[in-house]
Amino acid sequence: MDFQKEQLPNGLTVIGEHNPKAQSFAAGYFVNTGSRDETPEIAGVSHFLEHMMFKGSDRRSPDDINREFDEMGANYNAYTSEERTVYYGAVLPERGYKLLDLLSDMMRPSLRDEDFSMEKNVILEEIAMYEDRPNFKVFEIANEKFYNGHPIGNSVLGSTDSIKNLQREQMNTYFESRYAPNNMILTIAGHYEWQKVLEQVSTLTKAWKPSETKREYPKLRAKTGSENELEGSLKRVHVAFYAPGISAQDELRYAAALLASCIGDGTGSRLYWSLVDKGLVDSASLSHDSSDGVGAFVGYLSTAPEQLEQTTDIFKGELLKVEREGVSADEWQRAQRKFATSLTLRGETPFGRLMSLGAGYLYTNQYQSVQDVVNAVFKATPEDGQRVLSSKPFSSLYSFTLKP
Amino acid sequence: MSTLTNIQQQTLPNGLTVVVEEMNWLPSVSFTLLFPFGSATDPVGQEGSATVLSDWIYRGAGAYTSQELSDKLDGLGVRRGGGAGKEYTTLSASLLADSFPEAIALYADVLRRPRLEPTEFEPARSLAQQELASLGDNPTQQLFETLSERYFLSSHGKSSYGTAQGLAALSAESVRKDFEARVAPKGAILSVAGGISFDKVWQLAQQCFGNWQGSGVKMPNVSIGQPHQEHITQDTSQVQIGIAYQAVEPDAPGWYENALAIGALSGGMGARLFTEVREKRGLVYSVAAVSRALRGFGYTLGYAGTTTERADETLQVLLDELRKVSRGISSAEFERSRTGLLSQLIMQGESSGSRAGAMARDLFLLGSPRAIAEVKAKVESVTLQGVNDFLQSYQPKFTVLTLGSKPLSQVALS
Repeated sequence: MDFQKEQLPNGLTVIGEHNPKAQSFAAGYFVNTGSRDETPEIAGVSHFLEHMMFKGSDRRSPDDINREFDEMGANYNAYTSEERTVYYGAVLPERGYKLLDLLSDMMRPSLRDEDFSMEKNVILEEIAMYEDRPNFKVFEIANEKFYNGHPIGNSVLGSTDSIKNLQREQMNTYFESRYAPNNMILTIAGHYEWQKVLEQVSTLTKAWKPSETKREYPKLRAKTGSENELEGSLKRVHVAFYAPGISAQDELRYAAALLASCIGDGTGSRLYWSLVDKGLVDSASLSHDSSDGVGAFVGYLSTAPEQLEQTTDIFKGELLKVEREGVSADEWQRAQRKFATSLTLRGETPFGRLMSLGAGYLYTNQYQSVQDVVNAVFKATPEDGQRVLSSKPFSSLYSFTLKP
Repeated sequence: MSTLTNIQQQTLPNGLTVVVEEMNWLPSVSFTLLFPFGSATDPVGQEGSATVLSDWIYRGAGAYTSQELSDKLDGLGVRRGGGAGKEYTTLSASLLADSFPEAIALYADVLRRPRLEPTEFEPARSLAQQELASLGDNPTQQLFETLSERYFLSSHGKSSYGTAQGLAALSAESVRKDFEARVAPKGAILSVAGGISFDKVWQLAQQCFGNWQGSGVKMPNVSIGQPHQEHITQDTSQVQIGIAYQAVEPDAPGWYENALAIGALSGGMGARLFTEVREKRGLVYSVAAVSRALRGFGYTLGYAGTTTERADETLQVLLDELRKVSRGISSAEFERSRTGLLSQLIMQGESSGSRAGAMARDLFLLGSPRAIAEVKAKVESVTLQGVNDFLQSYQPKFTVLTLGSKPLSQVALS
């Protein structure tokens, strides 16, 4: 496995992890933009724009884009989060150059009026779809409340109103400012020839102009306490839990992730034994989200309405107990071993590698091989866990409940 | 012993088949233990028994309590999966290769020496009841569970979630009896892929499962009812549209032709359904058609989710496209579908988990695992003419189920 890196004159960074034994090639543009970079009047534009990027360029119609992906037999898609937008595909190595041509061309879209109006309907359908998924909706609401004015609490989808009111010119302006080559990374993984890729990408992106982009990093004033909202059609209660955590740039992020795993992994964790194993809930979990300059522990619980109080008390009790007493060395080691297996499995395919490689580099400007990450996970100690807990994150827990 | 390129397979005298694909460049190993029992063979009146059983067996086995067993597996870094389905129940795991011998011995305990303690029965049932209740807040899943119930006349329509009555009727004794009747080596499969040799797996399988006896239960034949249309009224933002219709049984003539036709219909964003329903008309966010296979029976499921005022149009367009495909696909569509299938195949071949799962399913459905090269050759031998001849030879008859705030207009079902 070799790591390669180059910054083109227009500011675009290209990184690659070469694996000559791989049977496929994966590539993705990681754009350093998402809902946290939006103002309220354009809420949802990052995600809507992601859809529009598939709608054609000077060289391609919308049909061409979808058809060409299919002709390559590509495994492809895109996603938008609070802080990045990613366009990716995986193909057999001999089709790698076609894939790069298509992905690069998509990054300079036409954004035509008629496509904009048509796609608006699709976005509104997507919002309606998530309305019917309370396990998703509870986080849409809770996220905004917990982050309490910090832009990372901005909804990725936006609202029905913000989408209906959005104008194409606003999307153009947003695109111009955020999709500058110096604000994106092209990541590749698997089987490829580095020099050929660089030559091709330099040609394809020659006309791209850098521009000044920035992101706000206000201080997080996280909300604490409990709130709830009634929704008559629900059959179950859905609770989202949040506590302040560790950022993606902080070395303690591995310790935070291991702590979250000890408390709330899907198998053998504290919450598993006290809630899921006993059949008190259909789901209870805790994970740790490291983001750009900010982080949070995020938990979820779903149960019958009459068990709400009992189960949320148990949930909070487990978190506070760990905050007071920490976790045992055995628990810590099991979490490390589980983590290492998951990382290794994900790292076995170029497609799986692409995602962690690109996202990791976007955060830290540093390359980490699968082995580097595994080593860092094994190096994290229960004392590091104590350092994470020393700020008493779970004493300032925030919870939000959706209930019938 | 049969040798199919890098796949080796052999059956123990008790009927448990071991199949291994060596992928010696991988640090991981994945395995799937497949047992031919599921919701379709749940005892009548005890719907949900397979699901409760497949949870209860993990709650302490051999020398270990529930928590000790779980800690052991976590300590080995085992990522666990599986559960009860219609026809079969799986226990699957991914781990680093050096932990395989210890892990497989623990799984032998789970399957052969579960403690099935009465104190652990209630929590297992209660968890199944919670999961069943959670369907109430998941309209898409609810649609497909109900569609299956309406489509099949045979017990294949039963959901692995069970029913409220079925779960309530279970007792520790009834599920223990069910365990004795249904968990057996005959017809079971141990499928392993990754950085391990066949010889090693075979030796461990003999040690762990060699002296196990039992023949399990017989699988009923599939039968389906008359095509019909039905609506479930429920207060949701989107109307859920589900369609089921018969296709080709696994490995029968037309199996690969059908797979290519489904690819043309729903293989990628350039395929017909996405283009016609979403791109041209903006009616949905999600639309798809997928193939489903049972032993001796194949069917297709169609899906779209849309808001109430556009539901009638969406159902019409979706059905039109499903009908239109009988008139044949173009050579460009054929090429795209074939390329898509072939490249997915090769990419699946990079992951131990997908290979272990695919070989277990093949063995169950077809009687033998297919090497990637074998599937590739079969897909490559299909011609456009073959696909179009196949498509013209059958007229799908649709069962339509919708779920949403108000019923849809009647549609033609063929």
